[in-house]
Amino acid sequence: MRQRGDPSAEPNAESGLLGQAGDGDRQGLAGALRRWFRAGVKFVVQWGPSIALLLLVWELIVRSGTVSRRLFPSPRDTFDAGLSLLEAGVLFTDFRFSLTRSVVGFVLGGIAGVLVGLLTGRLRSAEFILSPMILLFRPIPAIALVPVATVWFGIGERAKYFVIAYSVFLAVWLNVHAGASSVSETHIRVARSLGASRTRTFREVVVPAAAPDIVNGLRYGSAVAFIVLIAAELAGARAGMGYRIQISAEFLQTDRIFFGLVQLGVLGAILDALFVFTSRRIIHWGER
Amino acid sequence: MISGSAVRQDQPGESELRGRITVEGLEVVYEGRRGRNQALTSTDAMFEAGSFNALVGPTGCGKSTLLNVIGGFVAPTTGRVLLDGKPTLTPGPDRGVVFQSYALMPWFTASGNIEFALKSQGISRAERKARAAEALKNVGLAGREALYPSELSGGMQQRVAIARTLAVNPTVLLMDEPFGALDAQTRMTMQQFLLDLWEADKVTVVFVTHDVDEALVLADRVFVMTSSPGKIETVIEVSTARPRSAEDYSGDHAELRKQVIQLLKH
Repeated sequence: MRQRGDPSAEPNAESGLLGQAGDGDRQGLAGALRRWFRAGVKFVVQWGPSIALLLLVWELIVRSGTVSRRLFPSPRDTFDAGLSLLEAGVLFTDFRFSLTRSVVGFVLGGIAGVLVGLLTGRLRSAEFILSPMILLFRPIPAIALVPVATVWFGIGERAKYFVIAYSVFLAVWLNVHAGASSVSETHIRVARSLGASRTRTFREVVVPAAAPDIVNGLRYGSAVAFIVLIAAELAGARAGMGYRIQISAEFLQTDRIFFGLVQLGVLGAILDALFVFTSRRIIHWGER
Repeated sequence: MISGSAVRQDQPGESELRGRITVEGLEVVYEGRRGRNQALTSTDAMFEAGSFNALVGPTGCGKSTLLNVIGGFVAPTTGRVLLDGKPTLTPGPDRGVVFQSYALMPWFTASGNIEFALKSQGISRAERKARAAEALKNVGLAGREALYPSELSGGMQQRVAIARTLAVNPTVLLMDEPFGALDAQTRMTMQQFLLDLWEADKVTVVFVTHDVDEALVLADRVFVMTSSPGKIETVIEVSTARPRSAEDYSGDHAELRKQVIQLLKH
């Protein structure tokens, strides 16, 4: 996934420049603006052609008249549907509800996944006790848990948090466990022979060594949170992006459904890009 | 624990007492999926305090196993290894280890790697920084404190790894094919670097290699090992005068070389 023309040394060099610019703010600002501009150009070049092609094919299908426009709205119809949702005042409410659900579920499941993954990855006893259990839970799809969660928590927010957290936990755990259990034995030996205690070895060797996998797990988990969010909302909610799609289907408003799908795609892609962007800045060492 | 401080001081009388390794009836058997694998048959050996010892032999002769038992990473099946009379059952800062793969932590800078070692000794943060900079200067890497291992060449990385190991003043330096991954030119530079380092600070070195020339140019004693089962075949004394040069083979190098290679053929 790493892009070629983006060596890991680059972020360091950049932060070094920013650090020096402390006494000459204008220069720093100009530099920052230039970097932003360049990033913007790069973005358009990278995403533009592909998205343009998608819109073109979409428009051509609609124009060809092979499918009814009622069932397959044009890009313009979809955009207008978004505007109508905005005017109706539900666009941001849906967004807020959905985002809160996925963030809460993601944070709860993510923290649990990282902690348990580190535990089972490093401690024989924890792996012996917990891993078979978790592997048994893993094949159970989150959607199958929705009815149970609804019975337990009602159709309120807690049911959604539970289902999302559950799915995120499993996704994150799997990655973190793999990362923690494959920490180089030589690094552990070095730490032990330098007199580092078990806890310090864990904190300063195991955790950073597993960090690329932790980030991968969380990235995957964030995608899972989004998918399960919609599943949970389809099963019963009073607001949210999944709920809006469901309701629109009942009224045969395909343009609104399409808008909902586009919205999910764009949001998911932005979220993922943000994840990659920040994690690359923090973790400059990759897996070997 | 940190007996290395005695070595740092110029007291030959004391340094001779520290860092003597005795191997008594050591046997190591690995229980693998395919049954028992005897890595080392009953072995006795002695590494004198402050001496430079090389273990040479083919793959599977147990040279790394022997090193790992001294390091406290592998437990003896029978017998024992003593460092100054105490069994080496767990790893500890009295035995510094240098690996072929350098084993630097990629998430720490060159300085950070050394500071990691110093942290176990209850030294303040500022002091750690200063001592790490000093240690890097001693291995010819002044000014590279803030670089990450991925920004250093193989030879530089191994220098950092050696500096890290020496930072905690070990009495024994265990080196497992430390220069095996380097190109010929860098390897020679590093051999000279190690010779000079050892000349200044005579810790007991146990150096694993499969390069006969390297063993002869560095060591006082070369332990020639053979495989299946792994054992020490012979010990060869190298009397070449010190300080030595890694660049030219002097003394009876050619003669000893022939002898070792003969032994390894068996």
